[in-house]
Amino acid sequence: MAVPVTVVDDSKISRKMVIRALPPQWNIELTQAENGEEALAACRDGKAEVMFLDLTMPVMDGYQVLEQLQKEQFNTFVVVISADIQPKAQERVKKLGAIAFIKKPVKTLDIENVLHEYGIV
Amino acid sequence: MYCTNTVSFKSVNKTITMSIPPYTEDQNDALQEVVNIAMGQAGDSLARILGNFVALSVPRIRLVTVEDVIKTVTDMVDNNAKISAVRQAFSNSLRGEAIVVFAQAGADDLADLMGYDTDLDRSAEQELLLEVGNLLVGAVITGISETLKTDLNFSAPSLMAERTPLDQVLVPEQLSWSHALLMEVNFTVESRDFNCHLLMFMAEEAIDTLRSILDEFIDRIQE
Amino acid sequence: MSDSNDTTNLLNIIVDRAHVGIFVVNQQREIVLWNQFMEIHSERKADTVVGQNLFEAFPELPRKWLDRKIENIFILKNFSFTSWEQRPYLFKFAHNRPVTGGVDCMRQDCTLMPIKDDNSEVQYVCFTLFDATDTSIYQSKLEKTTEKLRELSNRDGLTRLFNRRYVEEALEKEFNRARRYNNKLSVILTDIDFFKKVNDMYGHLAGDEVLRIMSQRLASGLRGTDVLGRYGGEEFLVVLPETDMQGAHVLAERLRKIVQAEPVAVEGESLTINISLGISELRDNTAAYAQLIAEADLALYQSKKNGRNNTTLFQPDF
Repeated sequence: MAVPVTVVDDSKISRKMVIRALPPQWNIELTQAENGEEALAACRDGKAEVMFLDLTMPVMDGYQVLEQLQKEQFNTFVVVISADIQPKAQERVKKLGAIAFIKKPVKTLDIENVLHEYGIV
Repeated sequence: MYCTNTVSFKSVNKTITMSIPPYTEDQNDALQEVVNIAMGQAGDSLARILGNFVALSVPRIRLVTVEDVIKTVTDMVDNNAKISAVRQAFSNSLRGEAIVVFAQAGADDLADLMGYDTDLDRSAEQELLLEVGNLLVGAVITGISETLKTDLNFSAPSLMAERTPLDQVLVPEQLSWSHALLMEVNFTVESRDFNCHLLMFMAEEAIDTLRSILDEFIDRIQE
Repeated sequence: MSDSNDTTNLLNIIVDRAHVGIFVVNQQREIVLWNQFMEIHSERKADTVVGQNLFEAFPELPRKWLDRKIENIFILKNFSFTSWEQRPYLFKFAHNRPVTGGVDCMRQDCTLMPIKDDNSEVQYVCFTLFDATDTSIYQSKLEKTTEKLRELSNRDGLTRLFNRRYVEEALEKEFNRARRYNNKLSVILTDIDFFKKVNDMYGHLAGDEVLRIMSQRLASGLRGTDVLGRYGGEEFLVVLPETDMQGAHVLAERLRKIVQAEPVAVEGESLTINISLGISELRDNTAAYAQLIAEADLALYQSKKNGRNNTTLFQPDF
């Protein structure tokens, strides 16, 4: 059965870069979101078992999405994808419940490693 | 912190858009993303040598004319006090210059942040500014060149200003272009006084070259 | 022999013989390459240094600083540079201007280049070292000339005192500083009495001589922080930082007496020269530095009216 996956980024090109880097054999049902609010809506609609989340976005940023997901107790696997790759930023999102932090530009290998680690693929 | 929506390539006035066709929405989006990535790497490099968390602003990209470059930069840097600045040229597929502007308090705090004795002589102070300027510019140029898969080189850094008012650093008469693409990001160490701005300028023909490099990049993603 | 072998040989020769220093260290800071330029200037053959730790082979290197710089290249994978302007040299090499140089050893610019493997990990750091001695000599000549020109542009040619532009700038600076820190500030404007007569009777050369002597005498009566300049033909302006009108008055009287103390020898005659002085001081309502000069000028005019050879303090009800 296809896994519902949501890719969240305000940049179209950035979403494309993430989607391109997803393992080709992975059977998914893809949703795209341009900001945090759309991302939460996707979660509530059951479209985000796995979420690839950018941090800096208008309307509602990635940190706020993570806080809200914790509050609403979603079981979404959140992989943060960010250009700001400092260790402290990584720590912060992990505290907020993200399972992994991948730096931009995303590589397929980085995504595969995380998915394997959590037995998602 | 949000300053712009996804379309961030804004012309300062309409006459520019007449002479230089604006980038398409996709080109702007790609450029913003590439600059975000490159600036993120620069921030990470800076954080590593300062041993402190560095807050990055969302990079801003503007097309400026020689007449309003000073006002634009002054608005961005938001500091009428004295600054120190380091410049470096980059060349190869894209030509331009990068300038790192240090707020004076930040420059003074640098030695301490980097774990040096704080009573450095003037040469040692200059060396630190050059070192940090080179680190940021090098990381950004490398980031852009790797992401866009284009070759870029950069020159040795040189000191452009020391404790000088900003408006004396950029002098319009010395600028031999009419339009330039300006990319700016601000790095701050929140717990300290340290604050600096990285400005990258590409003039005239580089703006067009970048357009085709961005198209190739977008094509690779679309495949 | 294949083309690529040819090219490799060619590159080896070029790297070895190029007129720049080229050497490479690995992560352990062991030297792995040392070209001819480095051999000649360090007087150490490649086979005696290759395999050795850079800092053990050359203990005079600024180890702590350079080691950190190299380490940063392995971590950050970024080019790095050093310039003679901040750090004159890494290696203490002789330069090729032993006669005309005027510097003790070779000035050096250096580029540190990361050499990466296929996984983008840095394996080596390659140094290229450029002889910047000539540049440094030209630059220091240029700086000396610039400094001389700057000094000249601030001076009055005849008296060697500061010129009007300079002394006004100094006053403006002191005015701003006094405003900011709430300091005192006063100004003396002084004029040689009957100077026109000296010129008319003894000629301009004699007049010039009087101006020169007066300038020396005025300068000899001042304190280190006072700024004296030739303001006009026979007019002089003195800026007195952190001095109120009373202090300025004492100083002005001292100047007046120093100037007239000894007669001046002009064309075989000995003349007693007097000066008149006017003083103003910074008040809460002083609008600009120029007002201080204008007020001192009014006071000076009053001194002239009172029969010359005296000092007047500016009063707001003049």
